Amino acid sequence: MSKAVLVDLTRCVGCRSCQVACKAWNDNPGEDTECSGSYGNPPHLSGDTWTLIKFDEVQDARGKLHWVFTKQQCMHCEHPACVSACPVSALHKRDDGPVVYDAEKCIGCRYCMMACPFHIPKIHWDRALPLIKKCTFCADRIDEGLEPACVKACPTDALVFGERDELIADAEARIRARPTEYVNHVFGQHEAGGTSWMYLSPVDFDQLWFPQSDELGTDPIPALSEAVAEVGTPSMLAGVAALLAGIYWATKRRQEAGAQPPAAEPEEG
Amino acid sequence: MDLTRRDFLKLSGAGASLLLLPYGLPAGRLANRFPLHKPVGETPTTCCFCGVGCGAIVAAQGDRVVNVEGDPEHPVNQGSLCSKGMGLAQLNTVDGKVNPSRLQKVKYRAAGSSQWEEKSWDWAIDEIAKRLKDTRDGNWVSEDTDGHTVNRTEAIAALGSVFINSEEAYALTKLVRALGIVWNENESRICVTSTVTAGSESVGRGPMTNHWIDLRNSDCIMTIGSNAAETFPISFNWITDAVEQGATLISVDPRFTRTSAKADLHLPIRTGTDVALVGGMINYVLENELYHREYVAEYTNASFLIDPGFGFEDGLFTGYDAATGSYDRSTWQYQPDEQGLPMRDDTLQDPNCVFQLLKAHFSRYDPETVCSVTGAPMDTFLSACQAFGATGARGKAGAILCSSGSAQHTQGTQNARSYYILQLLLGNIGVAGGGVNGIAGASNGLGCTLQGRLFHVLPGDLPMPASGDESLEAYLDRVTAPPSQMENTISPWTSRPKYIVSLLKAWYGDAAAERNGFGWEFLPKLGGNYSFVNLFEAMDAGTIKGLLCWGMNPAVSGPNSGMVREALGKLDWAVVVDLCETETADLWKAPGTTPSDSQTEVFLLPAAASLEKEGSLMSSARWMQWRYQAVDPPGEAQSDLWIVDQLVRKLKSLYGADGGPNAQAITELAWDYGDPPDAHRVAQEMNGYDLTTGELLPGLAGLKEDGTTSCGNWLWCGSYTEAGNMMARRDNTDQSGIGLFSDWAWAFPCNRRIMYNRASVDLQGNPWNPDKPVISWDEQSESWAGDVPDGGSPPGKAYPFIMKPHGRALLFGAGLVDGPLPEHYEPWESPVRNPMTSVQSDPLLKTWGAVKGEPDNYPILATTSRLVEHMHGGGMTRNMPYSVEMMPDMFIEMSEELAEAEGVVSGDRVVVESPRGQIEAVAVVTKRLRPFSIDGQVVHEISMPWHWGYAGLSPGDSANCLTARVADSNTMIPEYRAFLVRITKGGAR
Repeated sequence: MSKAVLVDLTRCVGCRSCQVACKAWNDNPGEDTECSGSYGNPPHLSGDTWTLIKFDEVQDARGKLHWVFTKQQCMHCEHPACVSACPVSALHKRDDGPVVYDAEKCIGCRYCMMACPFHIPKIHWDRALPLIKKCTFCADRIDEGLEPACVKACPTDALVFGERDELIADAEARIRARPTEYVNHVFGQHEAGGTSWMYLSPVDFDQLWFPQSDELGTDPIPALSEAVAEVGTPSMLAGVAALLAGIYWATKRRQEAGAQPPAAEPEEG
Repeated sequence: MDLTRRDFLKLSGAGASLLLLPYGLPAGRLANRFPLHKPVGETPTTCCFCGVGCGAIVAAQGDRVVNVEGDPEHPVNQGSLCSKGMGLAQLNTVDGKVNPSRLQKVKYRAAGSSQWEEKSWDWAIDEIAKRLKDTRDGNWVSEDTDGHTVNRTEAIAALGSVFINSEEAYALTKLVRALGIVWNENESRICVTSTVTAGSESVGRGPMTNHWIDLRNSDCIMTIGSNAAETFPISFNWITDAVEQGATLISVDPRFTRTSAKADLHLPIRTGTDVALVGGMINYVLENELYHREYVAEYTNASFLIDPGFGFEDGLFTGYDAATGSYDRSTWQYQPDEQGLPMRDDTLQDPNCVFQLLKAHFSRYDPETVCSVTGAPMDTFLSACQAFGATGARGKAGAILCSSGSAQHTQGTQNARSYYILQLLLGNIGVAGGGVNGIAGASNGLGCTLQGRLFHVLPGDLPMPASGDESLEAYLDRVTAPPSQMENTISPWTSRPKYIVSLLKAWYGDAAAERNGFGWEFLPKLGGNYSFVNLFEAMDAGTIKGLLCWGMNPAVSGPNSGMVREALGKLDWAVVVDLCETETADLWKAPGTTPSDSQTEVFLLPAAASLEKEGSLMSSARWMQWRYQAVDPPGEAQSDLWIVDQLVRKLKSLYGADGGPNAQAITELAWDYGDPPDAHRVAQEMNGYDLTTGELLPGLAGLKEDGTTSCGNWLWCGSYTEAGNMMARRDNTDQSGIGLFSDWAWAFPCNRRIMYNRASVDLQGNPWNPDKPVISWDEQSESWAGDVPDGGSPPGKAYPFIMKPHGRALLFGAGLVDGPLPEHYEPWESPVRNPMTSVQSDPLLKTWGAVKGEPDNYPILATTSRLVEHMHGGGMTRNMPYSVEMMPDMFIEMSEELAEAEGVVSGDRVVVESPRGQIEAVAVVTKRLRPFSIDGQVVHEISMPWHWGYAGLSPGDSANCLTARVADSNTMIPEYRAFLVRITKGGAR
């Protein structure tokens, strides 16, 4: 049985308790941020921020204004590209849902970052031996029969944890019960071959942080990334240490100069 | 299938046993299985931020907090928390160490010095006690100029708090009053006093009539002056459920907020026009006969006849005296019959009956006028009227949620009065899913304030003795109403002698006896209005020389903060008790201040956070909940109770040795809480004892006026009995079926969960809504089933509003000084002329010589607001890295139209100016604000949070540098929410 989370954006009030719950449970520090003209902060996922709420002001087809609060984190794909791309099996998809990571195996090649269709895995750029960081689905909590920290924290049950097939049925029932409140689509049911985190939305998903549906498709991504990994692995291993040292040096220099570490995704609108 | 978190918790069996898993279990790491890397939590606490009162569980390892999460057994939050609450651990622990912002030693800043010095507690308590004694004794007033004994000092002020435990606030009040201090105020003065006063006038009490869980019982919820999704996010646990079941959510707000984002209807109105809007809804309800006829006729004063001399013309009620700027209210009274009782017309047709006067008054609030004044779109306004008006049907319920957004206006009291009138017409008070829920913003706003943390009251909201109350008898004559002669009414306040005598026995023990009026001389007597703004005027004038500032940050929260900071700088000494260094403690570092010019001595005392001590607090929904200590305070920080205890001990020894004016008020003060002081013993004193048997009183009925009972706070009587600490109860089963959870904690009053619940039934005792009965009369057992009723007499034998003289709620009332009915006036600063009458703003509003901005120079209307990520003056959250990370900077929100006109884009820095000062902020340009069209004129409105100041991890300019010292005439609550500014792009930073 595979665990999943249904995110019902019509219920989210954007309080960001999920964002803090993730940091608090995982002992991640707060980042230095600045207001750039939006409520959202930090601006992007990072080694210290594994989930965050995006704030989007969106007008729907009828001209009605929505302020949509969209949670972003690892989607825990059913067929994760990151797992297939990892040359040393540091990433692993568990039967019960979480895509988990073994830091002891990781060589820091960042293939997972490049493979992920959702641009989720991040790396601690400012550390000499950087590790990949992303949402763990709170696998430790799940193993103890607890909900993920973010799900438990949610005041409005906008996040629901359960069995994937039951959540899909629940999502479809919600759309049927209140068809004017939702777009008729369960994001993640089929995208990228299906994900463990799925969403219901009051507005078109293309208006939110998600990759455009046409570029994402419904086929599992690993078919593509596995090919990359097979070709890339032997030659890559030798150069990885030098590559990482270079990135570390460059990042340090950039930070000392006051610039931001490289962002792996476009600025939020 | 609709899976929810609650179901999951049930299904998975993740009850207490799993949640309390200690660190390291299960041992060993299986393949791809992960042991919990830290414990989840074991010590129950109540969140210290807002007034929802969420339960949390705390895990500690050694001296550090390693986890805090929502308490899954708590009926209100059911395991969830908002972002502030989820960051609660950071008050104690950041990145595994003590939060570096926390004070761990006593700090002292000498007059003129530019640095703090670390000091010992012994030194600080000695020095502070000396200053208290010197300042008090040197500025003692035994008799006032009228020759009345007043036993007070006007040279010391006490401020705060709304965050300390109720027991601590009670102990602080004892200390303050024993010292003869009359300048005694906390944040509730400037936060919600107007809503509370409107409640007292309309229905008898001021707090939320209903409670958080009850919101799910509603058919229509209107938030007005409250952005509840932002400021009380857990309320949306229940509002969202109601909406999914078909309820309509109406969000009235100048901005499209987090609340509006979830609403069916966002009804934008220009700030300061609530009376116009709700007056329009009242008119709609009356015109379309949507009101609850039976409820209105029986349970309100609709049928009472008013003096035929009463009238209203061009913005003024009868009796206005322009020379004094006040009303003679003699024509606002009932027509008496030969027995002196109000005359009535049960047909509601008499032109002088309240119902007809109400109709006539609000007939002017037609939809065209309302939309022209408020700027609301007509179609949305009418939809809102229809949806909310539909709750006037028998069995339907509509709830109003309001908070400081409507309270902080020169019309603050009348704003809330209009909500009560609407709700009374619709029969929505007393029923499940109804009510006027005036939300107290802070975690213990109610609990602290009801301990007498306002100048005009003693614990239990008993009126403070005043000059002329020469004896206890004279005082009781003044404050005790004569029994009503009207049939089937219970007279309020006839029991006050029992309450005050029992209070004096709790405070002065054997020294309070019949022969000395139970120690009447010990209490100070008021000689005027000592409210918040007056207090800072007196400080500025040099009358007040010393300040005790307890967990409050007026340098950020006071109106016209620049003037507050100046006044603070004129003190001889200030004691600031807080978790971190606040702007108020840093008064000598305020922008523009040279430390060497600042001659104020500052004692900065390190206080324990909520997780580091034990005691109770009262949620906005009136639940008293006990919380436990999870860790020790860091360094030398101590609980507020310990600090008060130390000061009292030292003062007792000083006055015992050296004497002083009215020294017995201090030496005889009953003070026996153990060493260190035990919060349980304070709580027991508040509950009260039968002094004959020595047993804790079981409830109010046991109180006596002969000195044989003690009770520190009659509202707490029944909260801690021989049966145990009722506030600590954790039975989360709901017997009621409507979510009362009556065995969880304890509620004021008398564990009643929905106030005025006798109005939820008809005169025969049958619930208006049999599906959601709050109470119902059981003929067989001849008793009430359900919630604790407002008085136990049988149906028809008592009218429901037992705190009002005739048992009826007031649609029309003579108790407010500025009008028996609400009337629209413009805010003190407004971009438009009052479109309704020639009276521009409330004729009784108070100004203290404030300089008024005119629209020619300051064309933009501004309001202030709060964020979920920060709390009030920011003293806590601006020292919590998670909150600072999410909301790092002071900003203003402005419409795309205004931004274009000013050449500003999102992220630019802007300067905002009012006649009081100027601030810099980041511009957030948004579709969520739109220009208003008012009477044909375009009005731009901006909004800004008020959390920032010059201290903490995230310094920024304070919105209140722009707000003015003008206030509502009934309560002196300042008009924070409407003022004029101008904006320019740029700024120095």
